[in-house]
Amino acid sequence: MSSIDDTDRRILNRIQSDFPITESPFAAIGDELGLSENEVIARVRRLRKNGIIRRIGGNFSPEKLGYVSTLCAGRVPPEKLEHFAEVVNSYPGVTHNYLRANTFNVWFTFIAPSRESITESLAEISEKTGISDILNLPATDVYKIRAHFNL
Amino acid sequence: MLTDLEKKVISVIQGDIPVIRRPYRDIGEMIGEEEQIVLSVLRSLAEKGLIRRYGATLRHQKSGFTANVMVAWQVDEDRIHEVGREMAEHEAISHCYRRNPDEKWPYNLYTMIHAHDRDSCHDIAEALVQKEGVQHYTMLFSEKELKKTSMVYFEDEFE
Repeated sequence: MSSIDDTDRRILNRIQSDFPITESPFAAIGDELGLSENEVIARVRRLRKNGIIRRIGGNFSPEKLGYVSTLCAGRVPPEKLEHFAEVVNSYPGVTHNYLRANTFNVWFTFIAPSRESITESLAEISEKTGISDILNLPATDVYKIRAHFNL
Repeated sequence: MLTDLEKKVISVIQGDIPVIRRPYRDIGEMIGEEEQIVLSVLRSLAEKGLIRRYGATLRHQKSGFTANVMVAWQVDEDRIHEVGREMAEHEAISHCYRRNPDEKWPYNLYTMIHAHDRDSCHDIAEALVQKEGVQHYTMLFSEKELKKTSMVYFEDEFE
C-alpha cells in the first residue's frame, strides 16, 4: 500500500464531497487546509497516480437523471461463470459486478432508462448464457447511501 | 427535465475532472462554453440536489478499508423501516436498502459493511443481530471484482 501522510489524509477527507465549484478549486481547498494551491495540486496528482483516488467528479442518483437502477444476482455454475460474466459486463449499464460466496454467486448493479429495458436485457442475458435464475431486486426504500470515508 | 446544457456538463463531470488550477475553464473548452457558465450550471445542479456527491472516489483497498461485505437480512415487514433506519445509523454501514424478496430469495434488507478485516465485518454483523433481533441473514463476501466502473449517462446524446 502506498503510504499517505497526515496532510494527504486531510486532503482526502476534504475532497470526497462538496468539492469546490469555484474558478480555482484547489486554491480554495488550500485556503481551508492551510496549504498552497501548488501543494494541493501536487498531492492530489500523486494520490491519483498512486491509485488511492479512483477519480474526481460527480456521482448521481440514477433516478434523479431519469434512469432506474436495480441489483441483480445470477445462480451460475462454475463452468459457466466466465461466459456469464463476459455477457453481463458487456452491458454499459452494469456498473458493479462481484463474485460472491453463495449459490446466487454473481451480483451486479444495472442502470438503464426504464424498468422494461432492464427486464428485456435480463431476458437477453438468460438467452445468451442459458442461466435462467437471475434475481432482479430493485430498491423500494433507501435508508442510507454514503461513500465518504474518514481516514 | 434536464436542459441540453445541463446534460453536457453532467456528461463531463461524470468522468474525471482535470487536476489543474482552472479545471472548469478546461471543461468549458471541452463543451464549447465559458468557464462562468460551467460554474453556474454546476452550482445549480448541486442546489437542485441532482449531484448526489461531488468529489473524489477512493479505492478502499488502498485507503485501509480492506474488507467489505454485503449482508442480506430477512426482517419482519412490520419492523423493516425501523430496522433499516437504525442500521443506517451505524458508522460502518455505507449503504442500506429495502428490496422486495423473491420466491427464491427471502431477504428484504441489504447493508454494505466496511471494515479493516473480515473478522471485524463478522463482529459488526453479530452486534447488529443482537441489537435488532434479526435471526435470518446471509453474509455475501466478495470473492472477486468482475467489473467496477461509473455509469455513463447521456452517452448517445452528444457524439
